[in-house]
Amino acid sequence: MAKVLIADDSEFMRNLLREILEENHTIVGEVENGVEAVEVFKEEQPDLVMMDIVMPIRDGIEATDEIKNTDPSANVIMCTSVGQEEKMKEAVKAGADGYITKPFQKPSVMEAIQDVVPS
Amino acid sequence: MKVDVQSLDTFNQLAHEGAQQATASMTQMTGIDATVDVTKISLVDRGDIGEELGAGSFVGVEFGFEGALSGETVLVFEQGQSDAIVEAMMPGASTDDSMGQSAVQEIGNIMMSGFIDGWAEHLGASIDHTPPGYVEGDRDAILPDGPETSEHDQIFVFRSEVTWEGESVSFFIYMLPEYEPMAELMAEHAETGDDAIPIEKLAVFNQMTQQGTERAAENVEQMSGIETEAEVSQISFVPIEDVPRQFGEETYVGTAVEFTGAPSGFLLVLFDEQSAVTVAEALMPMEMDSDGLTEQHKMAIEELGNIMTSGFVDGWANVLQQSVEHTPPRLVHDMGRAIIDPLAAQLGQHQRHAFVIDSKMKTDEVEFESEIHALPNEQELREALDELDVERADQTDADAGQIF
Repeated sequence: MAKVLIADDSEFMRNLLREILEENHTIVGEVENGVEAVEVFKEEQPDLVMMDIVMPIRDGIEATDEIKNTDPSANVIMCTSVGQEEKMKEAVKAGADGYITKPFQKPSVMEAIQDVVPS
Repeated sequence: MKVDVQSLDTFNQLAHEGAQQATASMTQMTGIDATVDVTKISLVDRGDIGEELGAGSFVGVEFGFEGALSGETVLVFEQGQSDAIVEAMMPGASTDDSMGQSAVQEIGNIMMSGFIDGWAEHLGASIDHTPPGYVEGDRDAILPDGPETSEHDQIFVFRSEVTWEGESVSFFIYMLPEYEPMAELMAEHAETGDDAIPIEKLAVFNQMTQQGTERAAENVEQMSGIETEAEVSQISFVPIEDVPRQFGEETYVGTAVEFTGAPSGFLLVLFDEQSAVTVAEALMPMEMDSDGLTEQHKMAIEELGNIMTSGFVDGWANVLQQSVEHTPPRLVHDMGRAIIDPLAAQLGQHQRHAFVIDSKMKTDEVEFESEIHALPNEQELREALDELDVERADQTDADAGQIF
C-alpha cells in the first residue's frame, strides 16, 4: 500500500482524508503546517503527500517547493479550497503533481491519486 | 461615469441628515426619542431590496419624486410599532383603522418631506414629490420595485435604519433613485482625482460577488447535502464607524480571515448558532450526542468557512488574473458587532469609509442561513476596479485539469 502524508491545518479535513484513504493506503503522518510537512516527509519518505495550501507558519506551496528540492521524485497533490488560476500555476511551478479543489468527493480524490501514483 | 469617494460620502451624509431630519420630525410629533442607526448607499439587485425586513409586516408611506433626482422613496414601520407612534400622536387613534392610517400617512408625509428637502437644498434645485400613498403588508407589498431600466439589473438604494432609544424597535427609510440620473449626478460631483471609481465597474464587481456567493452556496451543498441558495449580494458604502452597527447584537459562529492581494481586507463567514449546529451536524459522518455547539462542530465550521471563503474570493482573483491570498480561518463566536468591531477598527486606521460587500444564503429545507461579509481596503478596491476588464467578468472559474 502506498504511504501517504496528510498536511492540512484543519483537523476536520485530516480526518476526512484519512477516512477516504486508509482503506487502500498507509497514512504515515498527519501534520498541520508546511514546516512539519517537510520534516515528516524527510523522516518517512512517503509515496505521496496530500498538501493543503493555506496553512499557518509555512504554506503548502513553499513546503512543496522544498520537498521537491529535497527529492525531485516526490509526489505531491495539492488538496485545497483555493480555486485560483494563479495559485494553480504557482503550484505547478513549485512542482506539484496534481490539484484537487475542496470540497471533494472520494472518487475525485482516488482518481487524482491514481493519476499520480498508479497502483 | 465615475464617482469619487468624497461625493459618495456627501450623498451618504445627505441621506443620513435627511433621516435625522425625518427622525426629529417624528420626535417632535410623538415625543418618542429615536436615533439614526445606519445610513448606507448600496448597489443591489432589484429583487434583493429590503432583504433586511425579513418576513415581518409593515405599514408606511411611499412617494414618487422628480426633478433634480427622480425615483421613489418609502418609509415603513413594523406594524406593531406604528400603533405606538399613532397613539403617541393621537391617543385612541390606533383603534380606529381609518384614523390610524391617516395618522401614519401624515407622519410619513412630514418625515419624508424633510428627507427630500435636504437633497433639494444640497443640489440647489427643486425636487417635487407626489402625495403620500399608504402602504401595508410584507416586504413585497410595501417596497417599490425600483425604477425600471432596460440596461441595469442593479439599482442604487439609500437605506437608513432608525432605532427608538432604549427599545429594540426600528423603522426604515428607502430611497430608490433612477439609475442614470443618479449616476450622472454622482459623476457631476466627482472630482477626477485618484479616488474616482467607475460606477459601471462597481456594478460588474457586484455581479462577480453574486457569482462568488453562488459558488460558496454550492460548496455548502456539496459538503453538507443541504440544498442552499445564494439570496442576496450587495455592495454598500458606509462611514467606517457605522460598519459595526449593521451587525446587530445577535450571536454568530463562523470564521474570519484576512486576505491580501487585489484587494486586501477581511472576510467573515457567519452562521447564527442554530444554523451552525445544523450545518456542522450535516458535515460530520456520525451523529453527535449533544445539544449546542461542541468543539467538533466548531472544527467543522472552521473548515467550511475556509472553503466558502475560497469559493467567494477565487472568482475575483481569476477575473483579475491575480492571486488573492488569505490567512487560515480564525473561528469567531460572539455578538455580531463584537466580531466586526476590531476588523473595522483595523481598516479605519487607513480609511474613513468602507465598501462593505454583503451576501446571504439560505435554504427552506432546514433551519439554515449563512452570511458572508467582505471589508476590502478602499484604495486597493479602487485599484482593482481600475484594472478590472469587464469583458473577463464571467471568467471566474479556473480549471485545474487544464493546468496540470
